[in-house]
Amino acid sequence: MTYKFIGKRIKRNEDPRLLTGQALFVDDVDIPGMLHVAFVRSDYAHARILNIETEAARQHPGVVAVYTAEDMGDEWAPGPPLVSPPPTLAGVIFNSRRQSPLAKGKVYHAGEAIVAIVAESRYIAEDAADEVRVDYEPLPVVVDLEKAMGPDSPRVHDDLDTNLAAHMFQKKGDYEVARAQADLIIKKKFFLDRGAAVAMENRGVVAHWDEKSQQMTIWDTTQAPIPIRNGTAARLGLSQKQVRVIAPFLGGGFGPKAMMFYPEEMLIPWLSMKLCRPIKWIEDRRENFYATTSERQQVHEVEIALTNDGRVLGLKDDFLHDTGAFDPYGLTIPLNTQCHVTGPYDIQNIASNCTAVFTNKPIVTPVRGAGRPQGVFIIERMMDFAARELGMEPLELRVKNLIPPEAFPYDKEIIDQAFAKLILDSGNYLPVVEKAREMIGYDQFIKEEQPRLRAEGKFVGIGITPFIETTGVGPYEGVRIQIEPSGKVNVATGIGTQGQGHFTSFAQIVSEQLGVAVSDVSLVSGDTAEFHWGTGTFASRGAVVAGSATLAAATSVRTKVLKLASKVLETPEEELELEDGVVRVADLPHRSISLGELAALANPLRGAVEPGTEPGLEATDYFGPAYGATSFGVHAMIIEVDPETMMIEFKRYITVEDCGTVLNPLILEGQIHGGVSMGIGNSYYEKMHWDENGQLLNASLADYLIVTAHEMPNRIEVGHLETRSPFNKLGTKGVGEAGAIPVTACFTQALENALEEYHLEILESPLSPNRLYELLRNLTMSTYGREARK
Amino acid sequence: MKIEGEYTFTGPREKVWEIIRDPEILATALPGTKKLELVGENEYEGEMQVRIGPVAGVFGGKLIVSNEVAPESLTLTVEGVGKVGFLKGSGDIVLRDQDGNSTLMKYSGEVQIGGKVASVGQRLFDAVSKSMIRQGLGKLNEALRV
Repeated sequence: MTYKFIGKRIKRNEDPRLLTGQALFVDDVDIPGMLHVAFVRSDYAHARILNIETEAARQHPGVVAVYTAEDMGDEWAPGPPLVSPPPTLAGVIFNSRRQSPLAKGKVYHAGEAIVAIVAESRYIAEDAADEVRVDYEPLPVVVDLEKAMGPDSPRVHDDLDTNLAAHMFQKKGDYEVARAQADLIIKKKFFLDRGAAVAMENRGVVAHWDEKSQQMTIWDTTQAPIPIRNGTAARLGLSQKQVRVIAPFLGGGFGPKAMMFYPEEMLIPWLSMKLCRPIKWIEDRRENFYATTSERQQVHEVEIALTNDGRVLGLKDDFLHDTGAFDPYGLTIPLNTQCHVTGPYDIQNIASNCTAVFTNKPIVTPVRGAGRPQGVFIIERMMDFAARELGMEPLELRVKNLIPPEAFPYDKEIIDQAFAKLILDSGNYLPVVEKAREMIGYDQFIKEEQPRLRAEGKFVGIGITPFIETTGVGPYEGVRIQIEPSGKVNVATGIGTQGQGHFTSFAQIVSEQLGVAVSDVSLVSGDTAEFHWGTGTFASRGAVVAGSATLAAATSVRTKVLKLASKVLETPEEELELEDGVVRVADLPHRSISLGELAALANPLRGAVEPGTEPGLEATDYFGPAYGATSFGVHAMIIEVDPETMMIEFKRYITVEDCGTVLNPLILEGQIHGGVSMGIGNSYYEKMHWDENGQLLNASLADYLIVTAHEMPNRIEVGHLETRSPFNKLGTKGVGEAGAIPVTACFTQALENALEEYHLEILESPLSPNRLYELLRNLTMSTYGREARK
Repeated sequence: MKIEGEYTFTGPREKVWEIIRDPEILATALPGTKKLELVGENEYEGEMQVRIGPVAGVFGGKLIVSNEVAPESLTLTVEGVGKVGFLKGSGDIVLRDQDGNSTLMKYSGEVQIGGKVASVGQRLFDAVSKSMIRQGLGKLNEALRV
């Protein structure tokens, strides 16, 4: 399909505002009379609250109010359960325990908010917070996942007999049969740990209750303004029309800003109503480490069954998943892990057993990848080990097991995060693998370059990893499009935007239908007053779901335009074309009318609008996919390990993506680059270190290492292939998380390859230079490093 | 976190014992100690100013001496709470006669920290605690000469 706007490298509509500092972020909101909040947070991971002494803080000059859970009286209530377990899955156990606006009676993780101080300034609020004295009775702490499920473990929730948050079992075929038929069984145990999302902008909420208009306006760093609007209205006893939630520009979302209903999101609007004053709270970086959700800790015991010629017959995975102290977000992450643990491979027998575990650590909700990187890491590790055992070339083993193009749509028979069976809509995997192989020069590297560099004493290795990414799940999104008499086009959608380029990619879809310049299309996203139906920006669904709704609404407006223009120009619709902001007769281009003039005619001041028609050139449409669209891609890298410092240098980094129709390659590449940087962090730098008492030991950017330009590859080469999704008219698939998902798997493979002579077997992630050193030392090599080479 | 080490005092064991059981001398020896008062048998209350990297604050708390076998060994238990977090620990101290009128102190124990002092200061805590112990023991050794 040839497009005029879609698929073009168009510079982003939003960038002039962002780059010149004109874009509104939550902390830019400043309202006369606004008060500021600071929280007293728990120093303990698990403790009973014996007493809270707030009198000194209340007396502190400039303090307006101090609230504890007790002070909230009957209005104290835990947050809503946001995502239920899949009703389509039999035998699921799910113990719902939710976070509350302020801790009552007990704290469940370090950093949990206990007291809110409202003051004239944040400085005063922070000083007064220091005056609060909380007496605790420390309780035994649950940190380790395996110990947490032991019979003698202390319990996170007193009213539960164990720390079991959830249990679910999923299967396809019969693993035991596959096992009996297999020539080779490999069994491994893997430990994956937590990392933070570390958005550049921390969270923040400004709430303004206007007593006279009885209206609540909330500026919130949320990825899902509409669910927050609905939930806030319900909590405060207001109608949904009385609450407006605005998610302005955000400095990154990455999942933790999705519909969590954080304590602060519940509390700040409530405070504003109580005090009849605008209230602001902006999270600081240390709070972010504790009070914002994080992800990825799991322990997997995996078994893979193969034939001698490298055919994977089955996979069995038994895993523990850390959900932190509460589980408001349900089972999204482990469901994704279950869907991705067989990767892009045709594996007919699967048994996946998931146990989600409560721990005295901050809440776990999706972080870019959301359980997918864990699944991909597991299957790709198993593929590496299998290739080694079988004496096969790792890529050959993978290619042998890829789902073939004729098998689509392919039923994984595993329920996914949308509560439907995961159907892989479309794909043609082999050409993507071949393209990546060619781009990185795989064969030439293995045969020539690597031996030559190794002879020079260099530790260079290659990794190449295919992966799938489930994207674009329902339930739905909607878009309203209106042509103004000026000829400019307004677009409004309910999803929020956190840097994805919606202002441009959605505009391209509109331009394609209406023939207007992309810069003449202006988008409002994430303002419930502008559009009040929808779910949010997460799960790589914006382009697919809201993008498809945009296409539907633009098509409806186009129909209205053509109908009216046909009448005005006295020409049949099929002879008209929309180009350069006008409708014209295709073979008589001077006979034309501008879209603006048509918009004015569609909204007459006299006469009557014909029965059965609506005024204006406006349409609202929705898109709700029954199934998501699943992208495919390959990452490949060549790395060099410095044997003295254990630092890594990326010599090459390749990604090849098949995400169906590409809306804007510039934006796509930006998404990939950002994702890769997160993936590199997840692989080798970023890890949250909890001690045995549930204290986070690296809650600052001095100790928690995020990837900087120095750790990034000099260049990330991005290739594309397009297999259009048949499940939406755009033919597109999501790509928001793709950059991050396979990196740990690919990196680990490359690392083992670089250090091949040590027969390293990596069973954990993330690693670090220190940890790699330990692993090598533990191999009790008599010598290693440069000495071994000589 | 584990704390372990030894230190040689230039003085006889009885004298060393005497000074480590004297709260006034102990208060001058522990760096940052603002006060240390005997509030019960073998129980002290005090305040200590601590700085660990970017985290600084006053810890108020208790020091309890137990398992006392004079002049040989004792167990110290510390609990402190401040605006920057908490610390909790206990350790065993053993004194042994050495040649030439000197005394060897062996100490070993465990300290748990929480709050800001853990989340921001952890990286430096080990080094800071070692240096505080060294300074403190040095001060006590000086007190021996008086």
